[in-house]
Amino acid sequence: MPLIKIDDREIEVEKGITVLQAATAEGIEIPYYCYHPALSIVGSCRMCLVEIEGMPKLQVSCNTSIGELPPERKKDGKYDMIVRTQTEIVKRERENVLEFLLLNHPLDCPVCDQAGECFLQDYSYKYGRAHSRFLEEKRVRKNEYLGSNVIINHNRCIMCTRCVRFTREISGTNELFVQARGDNSKISIFEDKSLDNLLAGNVIDICPVGALLSTDYIHKNRFWNLEEKKSICTDCSVGCNILVYSQNNRIFRINARENHSVNGYFICDIGRYGFHRYEDAEKVTSPLIRSDGGFKPISWEGALKEIYEQFSRSKDGEKHQIVGIASPFHTNESLFMFGRLMDNIFKDKSIIGKLPFIEDYEIHFDSGFRISKDRSPNRQGLLDFCLNLEDEILQKVKTGKVRLCYALDDGVDRKLDEEWESFFKSQRFLVVQTYAMTPLAKLAHLILPGPSPMEREGTMTNDQGRIQWLKPSVSLTNKTRPDWEIIMEFMNTVGKRELKYSSVNEVNLEMGERFPSYRGMTFFKIGYQGLPKKNIATSRPSEGGQAGNTVT
Amino acid sequence: MAVFKPILTRYIHRKDSHTLSGYKNVGGYKALEKMFKTMAPDEVIEEVKASNLRGRGGAGFPTGVKWGFIPKDSQKPTYLICNADEGEPGTFKDRLLLSKAPHMMLEGMIISSFAIDCHLAFIYIRGEFYQEYKVLEKAVEEAYAANFLGKDILGSGFDLDVVIHRGAGAYICGEEMGLIESLEGKRGWPRIKPPFPAVEGYLMCPTIVNNVETLACLPHILNRGADWFKSIGSEKGSGPKLYCISGRVNNPGVYEEPLGILLTDLIFKRGRGLIDGRELKAVFPGGSSSAILRADEIDGLQMDFDSLSAAKTMLGSAGVIVMDETVDMVSVCLNIARFYEHESCGQCTPCREGTTWLVKILNRIYQGKGSLNDIDMIFEITDNIGGLIDPEASGGSFGKTICPFGEAVAWPIRSFVEKFEEEFIAYVEKGVDVS
Amino acid sequence: MNSVGDGQLTFQFSAAERVEQILSQYPDKRSATLPLLHLAQEQVGYLTSAAIETVAELVEVHPGEIMDTVSFYTMFYTKPKGRNHIQVCQTLSCSLNGADSLVDHISEKYKIAPGEVSQDGKISLVKVECLGSCDTAPVIRINDSYYEGMTVEKFDKIVESF
Ligand SMILES: Cc1cc2nc3c(=O)[nH]c(=O)nc-3n(C[C@H](O)[C@H](O)[C@H](O)COP(=O)(O)O)c2cc1C
Ligand code: SF4
Ligand code: SF4
Ligand code: SF4
Ligand code: FES
Ligand code: FES
Repeated sequence: MPLIKIDDREIEVEKGITVLQAATAEGIEIPYYCYHPALSIVGSCRMCLVEIEGMPKLQVSCNTSIGELPPERKKDGKYDMIVRTQTEIVKRERENVLEFLLLNHPLDCPVCDQAGECFLQDYSYKYGRAHSRFLEEKRVRKNEYLGSNVIINHNRCIMCTRCVRFTREISGTNELFVQARGDNSKISIFEDKSLDNLLAGNVIDICPVGALLSTDYIHKNRFWNLEEKKSICTDCSVGCNILVYSQNNRIFRINARENHSVNGYFICDIGRYGFHRYEDAEKVTSPLIRSDGGFKPISWEGALKEIYEQFSRSKDGEKHQIVGIASPFHTNESLFMFGRLMDNIFKDKSIIGKLPFIEDYEIHFDSGFRISKDRSPNRQGLLDFCLNLEDEILQKVKTGKVRLCYALDDGVDRKLDEEWESFFKSQRFLVVQTYAMTPLAKLAHLILPGPSPMEREGTMTNDQGRIQWLKPSVSLTNKTRPDWEIIMEFMNTVGKRELKYSSVNEVNLEMGERFPSYRGMTFFKIGYQGLPKKNIATSRPSEGGQAGNTVT
Repeated sequence: MAVFKPILTRYIHRKDSHTLSGYKNVGGYKALEKMFKTMAPDEVIEEVKASNLRGRGGAGFPTGVKWGFIPKDSQKPTYLICNADEGEPGTFKDRLLLSKAPHMMLEGMIISSFAIDCHLAFIYIRGEFYQEYKVLEKAVEEAYAANFLGKDILGSGFDLDVVIHRGAGAYICGEEMGLIESLEGKRGWPRIKPPFPAVEGYLMCPTIVNNVETLACLPHILNRGADWFKSIGSEKGSGPKLYCISGRVNNPGVYEEPLGILLTDLIFKRGRGLIDGRELKAVFPGGSSSAILRADEIDGLQMDFDSLSAAKTMLGSAGVIVMDETVDMVSVCLNIARFYEHESCGQCTPCREGTTWLVKILNRIYQGKGSLNDIDMIFEITDNIGGLIDPEASGGSFGKTICPFGEAVAWPIRSFVEKFEEEFIAYVEKGVDVS
Repeated sequence: MNSVGDGQLTFQFSAAERVEQILSQYPDKRSATLPLLHLAQEQVGYLTSAAIETVAELVEVHPGEIMDTVSFYTMFYTKPKGRNHIQVCQTLSCSLNGADSLVDHISEKYKIAPGEVSQDGKISLVKVECLGSCDTAPVIRINDSYYEGMTVEKFDKIVESF
């Protein structure tokens, strides 16, 4: 491994990586614009220039790779390269490049959407000259649409071509190109072939300045007002890592978060703009009981009492069957609790099923980016924790028994066909745990208010078997309670348990105890990047000492 | 020194010099026969190295050495591209060879292809040279018909196809990496190096780009030997050279002389001095990308790579542009700056923004609205695009752009202001309004 | 939208064999872009959107990438030019030898500024950079031919024949 020195730091690096990569990994800041780790190197912005001992001129660090020197040619007797990032010449060069970039750049940071997260603003402050020496008028061009969700402010564009390379190398859709040359160059589209592909929104993320704007976000808020939360997307089984930006419990935008085991640097537009459908939904934030053809709120005590009445009281001679409907939209912790309720409390009186999985085309991009055909986030968790899952539940319950049903709702994406609708209608008592007045919720006798996907917390297992933490981006409102907690109350009520988990972490620990492939998958352990599920076969776990206390 | 007889242009006055028979009549394609009979590819490379032939496209890189950079173990095909994009202001020598001696260049291409094991070679000819393209097309046809091109050339077992590729109006496509991108069907944005074209060029395969004139030298080197070639010119540069003279001289044109001829001889003997007997004021020795020389700087100056770089300018394309005492340096400087602004490909920040800025400032000065500060800014901006002419004085800080276009802008513009500062100051002070 | 193109819908190469021949010359399709664009432009006079799309299809890239290429080169036009397209060199050697007055003369004669096409579509005028013929400055190019050592009188003679 080559040994190099950057400023005063000695670093061992992998052979072949670039100076910029080595420095960045070491936390040494070299400013750059055109370089992006997912894109080809063009070396055109000239911002990343550094001094390299023995080279007659400054070098762009993004295109200078580090090799090994033979022993007799080592610098200072031991280094394969000596790099200086802070010399006067380097500093002056940065000032010069920034001065050039600012020549035609409007000084409109106060009204720019990118303000606060703009590398022109940021670098100018850190590396720039105090004042501009440009007396000429700035070049002014009008904003234009590039696609239905993307606007370009040409005046702010610094021609780094990241966006163009993105459409050529990542989305493979090639809509963007550079038109004309020299100072007339601008980012364009051809005729009606606008920037509308499932990855289009990423160009907004990777534009290093505020030139590419989202119509979804433009002028809606300012960066510094927003709270940033790390989480994962729940719109398909890939589980892309995301950053969610909110203010006062309202989400304003979602950006990609880097995770090389999952999504690389990008997310798709389904996940990027998907949060709006929760805004549009009619929210459920209190327990509701059917009354006069409608619903009326009741207290949690009232709701649990009702559950006790319906699910625990033995009705003479009646044979009933308890149908549990699990959901791949829920966290492992909730599904774990749900599985326990069904398998260990209701035992063989229960049967556990699910609605048909929500599937669509699997979409592959040449760059490797993928949108799963499975448009639910946690099918794997569902299969892992609901071991007795019946595939053909509609057939299995046709035996003339009294039916009681407890359904975890899939949420706003779920539509019901007639067959399912009549199935749910035929239940003597239907409890639906949900966050919105979905078609399923409307059929319920009792609605229990759980968190929406943006409020949930717990682990999810993606279609590659990777366990990741879903972190709440906004907090629970009103009488909503976490799903696992509601199920716990259900268990305590009908199973006379005294479970007292106080957080999802405790449920997660218990889950790991019982399901070895999930052992130790605490947030502390897997962090924001997740870990693959352990390859350990799962046998049927029991409720331990408390077993046998069943409902009749 | 013996009297020099033109080598490349010796027969171009003949009416049929561009035809196959015309070329064969004066010994054309003999080198090829000799090569196939007596030489291995490596021997050709060695011969060219020994001849001390340096590229005539501008950079003056030793041709044989460049060929040697092709990886020996490459599994990919190798390509040769003849650079006939000639666009450097003040340069029109390749055009002469293209129209009058296309077969000489073709023979050179075949020799080079044989040496570097290339079986598909391109001629990238600038789009505007339509008539030359037609001549070339005919020449290639003739060469195929005579089996100088195609399969199993002259029974040697060596195959070579040549494709003529027209450019479409972009000076930067003369730069080898811009040219390669352009040949690939893209905009001519020079690619960053490394990788160098000899390793990853056209379609990411090993590629050699050579200038028309460079290639035209090859048959003569093989015919008469490296030693003969080396004996022409001086230590600092060997072989014949085509010099272009234009501007305010009586007898503009292309002149073939040995490398190292005196600049004064070119201007006053071959160019027959200045129009109307005016005084010389300044001269570009090597196209508009070279720093200008004042009349008092050219005495005894030899036209070769090393002498000119010692004089802080360059031989470049050997395009000598002559300016007489009546020429207004501010307007010439503006003319040149405008050229570079128009031709900047626009990908590097300093070049794209800097060229525009320079034009704005020069325009302001030219319109009599400039300030002394503007003059200082020209120095700064040119330094920031392309560094100082003297790398030492710039603390090693030059090469600020992807391709040498940055220097090609900076050096001449800076030289104007440096050497004729008083004219710029006069514009500023008098507020002359010429427009 | 910020889109470019003239909205023309149909284009077909009239010289199909020539297209095939061009494509067959190169190791990859995309390298045929410039020659195909030249060919299309010869046929229509400029590059319509439809022509660009046709070339894109032939070389198997997105039409945006072809437009990227087209817009880079000064010899490709996306708008009609005049039947006689006059290109006046304005670079140094020509400028030193009177190119500017030639431009003025042509401008006045046809009442068009550089970059414009005359009303009758007969003449268009552009200023271009060094044409590689500086020894015969000033130089103009009309369509594909050079006219060297130009003077105002010489110019008027040449255009009489149009
Ligand atoms: C801006 C620019 C323009 C150039 N134009 C030409 C040109 O028109 N013809 C040419 O042969 N070389 C030109 N060159 C030089 C080429 O990059 C390359 O060095 C040359 O073609 C190599 O051939 P040679 O080694 O035979 O000289 C240019 C270089 C630059 C930086
Ligand atoms: S729009 Fe943004 S990403 Fe695209 S070239 Fe301009 S600055 Fe770069
Ligand atoms: S690919 Fe799937 S997980 Fe990733 S952003 Fe799109 S919908 Fe969300
Ligand atoms: S120096 Fe100028 S011409 Fe060369 S690549 Fe950079 S911008 Fe293009
Ligand atoms: S990041 Fe290296 S040149 Fe742009
Ligand atoms: S300057 Fe006009 S042809 Fe060269």
